Amino acid sequence: MKDKEAPPALDELPGELLIWVLIISELLVFGVGLAAFMAVRLTDPAGFAEAQNELHRTAAALNTIVLVSSGYLAARALRLRGASRRGAARLALVAAAALGVVFLVIKGAEYADKAAKGITYETHPFFTFYYLLTGFHAAHVVAGILILLLIAWRDEPRNIEAGAAFWHLVDLIWVLLFPVIYLLA
Amino acid sequence: MKPDTLDRTWIGLVALSGCSAIIAEVLGIGLDGRLTGAAILILALMKTRLILAHYLGLSAAASWRRGFNLSLALFCLLLLGLYILPAVIS
Repeated sequence: MKDKEAPPALDELPGELLIWVLIISELLVFGVGLAAFMAVRLTDPAGFAEAQNELHRTAAALNTIVLVSSGYLAARALRLRGASRRGAARLALVAAAALGVVFLVIKGAEYADKAAKGITYETHPFFTFYYLLTGFHAAHVVAGILILLLIAWRDEPRNIEAGAAFWHLVDLIWVLLFPVIYLLA
Repeated sequence: MKPDTLDRTWIGLVALSGCSAIIAEVLGIGLDGRLTGAAILILALMKTRLILAHYLGLSAAASWRRGFNLSLALFCLLLLGLYILPAVIS
């Protein structure tokens, strides 16, 4: 009996199917979190706006630029590896990881500022969501940095493709999280 | 050297992020919240489209790209609805 062929739609997807399952799952998790944040905001819009004013919007916008630049380097690494420029690809991946560290340093400074002001996750429901969503995202950044370094070492093209896709997921989540948490007052 | 698609995507993302930063700075000057909210979410949506198409390679998978774009556009509409609801019901 002939093996059942994969549907053409799945063949269209670039890279491994499993990484797309992960991307969709993570988008759903963060999507539900962000929708819940906006729904809870309905109970106290003024309180949410006041709490949001404690955040440093410009630093968060700077972090967006840091992360999309890091994503660019990861995407560039895949192309460089495809062109058999292994050294340049590895350098791009390490630079992408370094920008990930810059993101965490800025995020850490933001958390330290909140701690200095005595703001915790119990201060207001806004900060419960803020710490939960940005903290979970930061955990993804940490994992992403480790993956970038791992694929810089084990630099098979399919490893780079999967690792870079995870990093773009981290990027994708941030560009949705940033406006909702920091800007929609 | 002429910029390729990846370079142009990065420039586009930085420009859109810059626009977000400008909006972040002018939020306090009394602009209509519904307009700024819509602008903020449109910028976010444009960034997700660029990342999906050119960083994640969906530009080569038209049906998947349309599916992702539609889902994210509906999600942003939901967020916008939840954002402007307090102003509508007050």
